Amino acid sequence: MKKNPMVAVTSLALLTLAACGTGEAVDLNGDADDVEGAVLQAAIGGEPDQLDPHRTSAYFSFQVLENVFDTLVEPDENLEMQPALAESWDVSEDQLTWTFQLREDVTFHDGSEFTSADVVYSYERIIDEELANAWRFDAVESVEAPDDHTVEITVSAPTPNLLSNIGGFKGMAIVSEDNVESDEISNNPIGTGPFSLASYTSGDQITLEANPDYWGGAPEIAGVEFSFISEPSTALAALSGGEIHWTDNIPPQQVEELDGSDSVDLEVIPSNDYWYLAMNINEEPWDDERVRQAIAYAIDREAIIQAVSYGTAQENQLAIPEESVWYTEYSNYTHDLSEAERLLEEADVDGGSIEFLATNEYPETVTAAQIIADNLEPLGFEVSISQPDFSTWLDDQNSGSFDMLMMGWLGNIDPDDFYYSQHHSDGGSNAQGYSNQDVDELLESGRTETDEDARAEIYAEAAQIIADEASYIYLYNPAVIQGWSPELSDYQARSDAAIRFRGAVLEE
Amino acid sequence: MQLSPKAVARFLGTRLLHSAIVLLGVMIVVFALIQLVPGDPVRLALGTRYTQESYDALRAASGLDRPLWEQFFTYIGSAVTGDLGVSFRSGQPVTALLLERLPATLSLAGVGLLIGLLIAVPAGIWAALREGRIADGIVRITSQFGVSIPDFWMGMLLILVFATGLGWLPSSGYIPFSESPGGWLRQVTLPAVTVGTVAGAILTRYVRAATLDVANMGYVRTAKSKGLAPSTVTIRHIMRNALVPVLTIAGIQLATILSGVIVVEVVFAWPGLGRLVFDSVASRDYPMIQGAVLLIAVMFLLVNLIVDVLYALVDPRIRLA
Repeated sequence: MKKNPMVAVTSLALLTLAACGTGEAVDLNGDADDVEGAVLQAAIGGEPDQLDPHRTSAYFSFQVLENVFDTLVEPDENLEMQPALAESWDVSEDQLTWTFQLREDVTFHDGSEFTSADVVYSYERIIDEELANAWRFDAVESVEAPDDHTVEITVSAPTPNLLSNIGGFKGMAIVSEDNVESDEISNNPIGTGPFSLASYTSGDQITLEANPDYWGGAPEIAGVEFSFISEPSTALAALSGGEIHWTDNIPPQQVEELDGSDSVDLEVIPSNDYWYLAMNINEEPWDDERVRQAIAYAIDREAIIQAVSYGTAQENQLAIPEESVWYTEYSNYTHDLSEAERLLEEADVDGGSIEFLATNEYPETVTAAQIIADNLEPLGFEVSISQPDFSTWLDDQNSGSFDMLMMGWLGNIDPDDFYYSQHHSDGGSNAQGYSNQDVDELLESGRTETDEDARAEIYAEAAQIIADEASYIYLYNPAVIQGWSPELSDYQARSDAAIRFRGAVLEE
Repeated sequence: MQLSPKAVARFLGTRLLHSAIVLLGVMIVVFALIQLVPGDPVRLALGTRYTQESYDALRAASGLDRPLWEQFFTYIGSAVTGDLGVSFRSGQPVTALLLERLPATLSLAGVGLLIGLLIAVPAGIWAALREGRIADGIVRITSQFGVSIPDFWMGMLLILVFATGLGWLPSSGYIPFSESPGGWLRQVTLPAVTVGTVAGAILTRYVRAATLDVANMGYVRTAKSKGLAPSTVTIRHIMRNALVPVLTIAGIQLATILSGVIVVEVVFAWPGLGRLVFDSVASRDYPMIQGAVLLIAVMFLLVNLIVDVLYALVDPRIRLA
């Protein structure tokens, strides 16, 4: 249900993410400004906070920016990295130098030529200004431009996930120095992508115009008009009423009903986001892994998934979804109260009170907390649920004032994204306080292992220990739910929830 | 009459001075309250995955590393010149962002109140003149419904019927009046009816009560016994005098709608102030929150000022002082 993009707000926050029934396709009633031709009307669940890809962390911003900016490489629909602004790359024998050959036919939307200097500028901006994504360059020692169309990145250790770090989402976009220096990038960004920004009315809409010179070929549609509809039933009404062609703000309870509808094409696919439970390992009794395991046995995952997503989410006891090449099968935890009781007895714990930190920003946390409270009652646990806003939630999480919390991570691609920061003893997002020497070593070696099979094994092993010891109790991968008018074709929903309209066709 | 230029000037002068003091108070209170609210704008902007260096850099860039008193005086200093700072969230000047939202807010508030008055004035007077009879009962019960119906539900109902069902009106969005008056009207109708119904229900009760008060006054009896036509009594003697309390409530309603009807704005994806404030609070965008509250305070003061001036026009007994 995270796809209720109310949620996505922080998206990045947590995340690496990047994270018509119809009337006339062409609606030029003046609000599309000077864009001529078939304009796709798209409704997203909220307004971007700003349009500087390096500074925003909001999913709503990236929904728009995905279509405006490019990265050196980009994930295909299987989330494997493919050429984008870089047409090819080589890694040196010692794995420490990456050389990227850039496309030569690329211009920014203002007509200026794209060269290696733009890449160097963009990356140095993130690194030097310590912007939020600076950690993605942790292993990077230098970014240089030996000539106009070559970029050389030197790393301090082999970095198999460099490509996903620099291309996983548009937060690593190549920007124009002039655009940044003129302070216009936050509301009038200039990129190299398939669409350029035509107009932005705060609170109302953002209009994009097809870039006829796009290196991947000019888009079929003339433009995209994004409107911001935060109430899912309004968005659905607008879609069924033909006012918009596309939205990802679909109430999950309507999915079943919409499936097979003539006026709305619906796509529900598993995302690579995940939601989890975590317990405060720094506090008793959660420092005892048996108590955490007991919780994992006691919760009714099926009921949680039904309640938060109306069954659209996919149960998963690890983080990485089944569709990913990095998937590991794991299903040790069954809904088994007697096993939970046995573990608690062994740990000499006889119930107690649990402070469950949920947040009204992500309603699924509140819904799930209620079910979990119910599940844990027979074990003698009394769960009190607090649901502050997200800002306060973050404070509470970071200061460790919780027994149990539920949260999600969005937009991860590489297994390092899924596990390192969350479960390494020194991980920046290890708020639960998990520490295991073996896991640390595995996660470190995964960072530098360049053989993909060996790397997959490392992460499979680490993930199993993490789940066995219940550092996180993984719950499910939510679905990406998008609906569009039958007039829209050649578009598909992606598991990283990136919205790409470059190939979309709108029937007139 | 009472509105001699001198009196008006003196009145406005005093009021402006009072307003300035109120605004200063508002700024101090808002600034202080924001500091008390838990939540860290820097952490929110960065999410949970960032380095300490990133955190420090953004904190310094936002000016949050400076002492509180320094932040406060910088804020007051620039606010006086109309510069309300730069939004943390969007990197845009707060003043510009607020002004961008004003037309939509004014549209919704104006049309909403108009609809409210169109419902309330006839219904309230009609009910009062038939006090205790069936008509009165119907109006009272209906207005009770109007007050009780959640605007969220009302909005969704209107969308279901008029947008999804009948397809007469769009379900969401906004078109500026300057761009297309027809488009503007189509867009504003459903949200304004939602706002207007609630406002109308509240106002009806006041109009009825005020009319009843006046209708029982001695001079109304005198007018009636003089043999004046009932319509003359109603219009000249009752309505005009009943207008004073109604004006007060209408003014408060207007100011309330102006300061943002968040729920209605969310339901209809209306780009008004309410959603801006809501988003800003959620992201702890201090400059934006301060600016928006200040603007709302200014609108309240303005509406009150206008209402006070109207009092004098409507009721000769009231002087501007």
